Amino acid sequence: MTDITRRNFLGSLGLISAGTLITGCGEQADAKQKSKQDEAAMPADLKWDKAPCRYCGTGCGVEVGVDPQGKVRAVRGDEKNPVNRGLLCAKGYHLPGLLYGADRLTKPQLRQRDGSLKNISWDEAYDLIARKYKEAIAQHGVESVGIYGSGQWTVYDGYAATKWFRGGLKSNNVEPNARLCMASAVMGFMTQFGSDEPMGCYEDFEAGDDFILWGNNMAEMHPVLYSRILESRRRRPSVRIVDIATRRTPTSDLADVYVEIRPGSDLALANGILHLILKKGKVDASFVAENVAFMRGVEDLAEIGYGAFGDQAEHYGFKDKGRPSSLEELKTFLDDYTPEKVAAITGVPVQQIELLGDMYGDPQKGTVSLWCMGVNQHVRGTWMNNLITDLHLITGKICKPGSNPFSLTGQPSACGTAREVGTLCNRLPADMLVNVPEHRAKAEEIWGLEPGTIPEKPGFHTVDMFRALVRGDLKVMWVQTTNPWVSMPNLNRWKRNFDDGRFVIVSDIYPTPSTEAADLVLPSAAWIEREGIFGNTERRTQHWNKMIDPPGEAQEDAWQIVQVAKRMGMGHLFPWPENDWHRPMYEEYRRFTLGNGKDLASYEQLKQERGMLWPVVDGKETRYRYAAGFDPYVKKKSGAHFYKAKKTEEKAAFWLRPYHPPAESPDAEYPFWLCTGRVLEHWHTGSMTRRTPQLHQAAPAAYVELNSVDAAEMGIGNGGRVKVSSRRGEVVLEAKIDGRGRPPRGTVFIPFFDENRLVNRLTLDAMCCISKEPDFKKCAVRIERA
Amino acid sequence: MTRFSILLLALLALAACGRPAIEGGADEERAEAKSAAETRAARRAYDGAPPVIPHLDFNLDCVECHGSQGVEVAGVGFSPPSPHDATSGLSDQARCRQCHLWRNTAEEFRENLFVGLRQDLRHGRRLHGLAPPVIPHQVFMRENCHACHDGKAAREAIRCSHPERLRCTQCHLEQRSTTTFP
Repeated sequence: MTDITRRNFLGSLGLISAGTLITGCGEQADAKQKSKQDEAAMPADLKWDKAPCRYCGTGCGVEVGVDPQGKVRAVRGDEKNPVNRGLLCAKGYHLPGLLYGADRLTKPQLRQRDGSLKNISWDEAYDLIARKYKEAIAQHGVESVGIYGSGQWTVYDGYAATKWFRGGLKSNNVEPNARLCMASAVMGFMTQFGSDEPMGCYEDFEAGDDFILWGNNMAEMHPVLYSRILESRRRRPSVRIVDIATRRTPTSDLADVYVEIRPGSDLALANGILHLILKKGKVDASFVAENVAFMRGVEDLAEIGYGAFGDQAEHYGFKDKGRPSSLEELKTFLDDYTPEKVAAITGVPVQQIELLGDMYGDPQKGTVSLWCMGVNQHVRGTWMNNLITDLHLITGKICKPGSNPFSLTGQPSACGTAREVGTLCNRLPADMLVNVPEHRAKAEEIWGLEPGTIPEKPGFHTVDMFRALVRGDLKVMWVQTTNPWVSMPNLNRWKRNFDDGRFVIVSDIYPTPSTEAADLVLPSAAWIEREGIFGNTERRTQHWNKMIDPPGEAQEDAWQIVQVAKRMGMGHLFPWPENDWHRPMYEEYRRFTLGNGKDLASYEQLKQERGMLWPVVDGKETRYRYAAGFDPYVKKKSGAHFYKAKKTEEKAAFWLRPYHPPAESPDAEYPFWLCTGRVLEHWHTGSMTRRTPQLHQAAPAAYVELNSVDAAEMGIGNGGRVKVSSRRGEVVLEAKIDGRGRPPRGTVFIPFFDENRLVNRLTLDAMCCISKEPDFKKCAVRIERA
Repeated sequence: MTRFSILLLALLALAACGRPAIEGGADEERAEAKSAAETRAARRAYDGAPPVIPHLDFNLDCVECHGSQGVEVAGVGFSPPSPHDATSGLSDQARCRQCHLWRNTAEEFRENLFVGLRQDLRHGRRLHGLAPPVIPHQVFMRENCHACHDGKAAREAIRCSHPERLRCTQCHLEQRSTTTFP
């Protein structure tokens, strides 16, 4: 740019009013904001305390500034927290907004015959819930009641729920929305290591050389972690980032290589990389001989299905059956995955497949694979988790700083609560399962219950739980810290009518489509309005203190559960003083974790530290699990020891997994692929972030991203109204062309944060055959001008 | 429209929205300072929050105007430099919009009652009259002191008298707050 150009241009600008160039909304928003500054506090008046961010699974540390009147006035990135080292993202910086929406729920409300909600007292609410649970169990058995929470349940909430349900009601119908989010990763780690959660930690971002992202828009979904990788590359230009994705995103814009892949064909690509590793002799033979056991499961597509068609549309109970396999069998198996064959399935050029083979196969380079919803929300999500980890096992690139398969989570305590406390329908705390007698016995012992109290049969997984609710097999359901009437797939299937004889309780902090579907709405305390513990993606357990009072009569979720349990004669489950129950509840929970490689830090240490990576032994955290020199459970001098993998003689299981096509693919009637997901500004269903003005103003409504050529062919312009329909429903939204996300031809993307434009009316409730996690990323739709 | 002209339109827009008229005199100066503080506050959820982007999307890299020096065009205005030091911490100029948001609407989804922290415009505290004032804000992501305390973007109240001395934190210490977590 030259000064001459500038001056010439300025000269010609004299007649133009500068004001016309600024956005009108900028000035209007400025004016609105001004009135809110008048009574603001000064910095020196604030009291600061630490907390993990309320939003995603990254677990950034923030410090929260509270004024003398007990109002939050500011947050700042916590420079002492090793997760984010002071940096936050737009959501993190705007955390206070989630607390102060004018429509916070402040009183329990009961649905009336005319459909309206009427305030009732907590006593009335608790008595009513207790009565509804008792009646349903008496008339229809323990399988007729359920509780559905989330990865936003604190450790306390999830622990109260699982103990009440399994130990009190004797029902395993406890589920978290983490089933929609992380279940495939859980089953990936469980089938391979006999223990959930990654071996690496965020220090991998500074130690690694090659970062391979599998269907993972980190720049928007884990922005602070992507910043760490970008910073790593800035300091070490040899660092490479490969983005394997079904559309271009802000992540692709900053990657070294963008690998565009057809939806669902990642299974073939991973097998193609394995094929090249074997063909080029890049197998780490000594690591494999010492640490890897080959396994093979059921592969017959007709037997497995997708959980959405025929009988499986009501109940999906497919169980995999493993048998030992071998490296020789793997070689034969991979004959089907030559680069040419894989290119034909995936649409990825042979050169790129070979590049990936070389990257994974290079023993000199530390390789970190990263994935989140693209791999997990997948009809073969567990298989895909297995395959990514297989790439690391076969090359020995695991349990080393800078070389690990690293599954990222979406929710702040998907790991800490859903996975570690074990609020999935088949799990108990610390990797234990309800269908293993010794595990039930251990839980009964810690909980002081009669042997045989905890039922053996797993409860409903999430999709089957909602199917049972619609069918009438589930009579009472309590929903906490989640918004399923926005986030469930195939939403039109779960529409409620209040005369259906079910009783749905929803605890939340704001009115949502889920509270609109509830018979009883309970006001919950949010985030720092109560004491809490979250566990993040890298096994870091983080504690925070209660800093302010919740509004009105709002109560924390765990407290609500305990009150109902007491009214049902189950007070013995929660024998702690009502003014001091957090510490003893945590200490009881911690007993599950000690001595088995899941050891959590003491309560005192958690209060002090910016989180601790488990296992914490003798007060010291573990950065790399299963790794000699890092993990105190590993007694070897060097290398790795998968001491939790009891089913495969303490070796990690390498699973042979084939390519299967998606459940529904485009055809003449519905010719486009639909992918759904998140955006930087909004967190999941948007009930908190949309109430934060700055976040809403940046992303006020959901839209449909179209390929520019497709759009031109259909005569659709940027901002034009578009009707998107599938076999299950339709939604009308604005088109976005060449925005932050650019889908390839034949593909569209719609974010799911907008309760006024529900993309999940279109999605299909097909699931991963092992984890039962729905596939929100692939179904067929039609696009029309609206 | 060319890229260059878009840049200039951006600058003009900035000038129009951020700078009230200055006629001279103490009262006017105070009024200007107050108005600037209000404009600044209106673009942040609280003091310390990343400001939203007050102008249209000109499809330029942010650093083209908001680099380490900022850009001035005579008679039009000044786009302030970034206070972030790309050589320290985790800042990466390529991801500005990870924290700085567009305003695509003035509407709220639902009313929000949050009242943010106000900027403390008083002079930083000193041990005694000749001691250097402490830094009353977080230095992280504000490593480039000159962005706000020197040059065109510096308001008189916080303008540095000795910008030629480059090691600011040698004398000015960061005061996080009167109370901090241990």
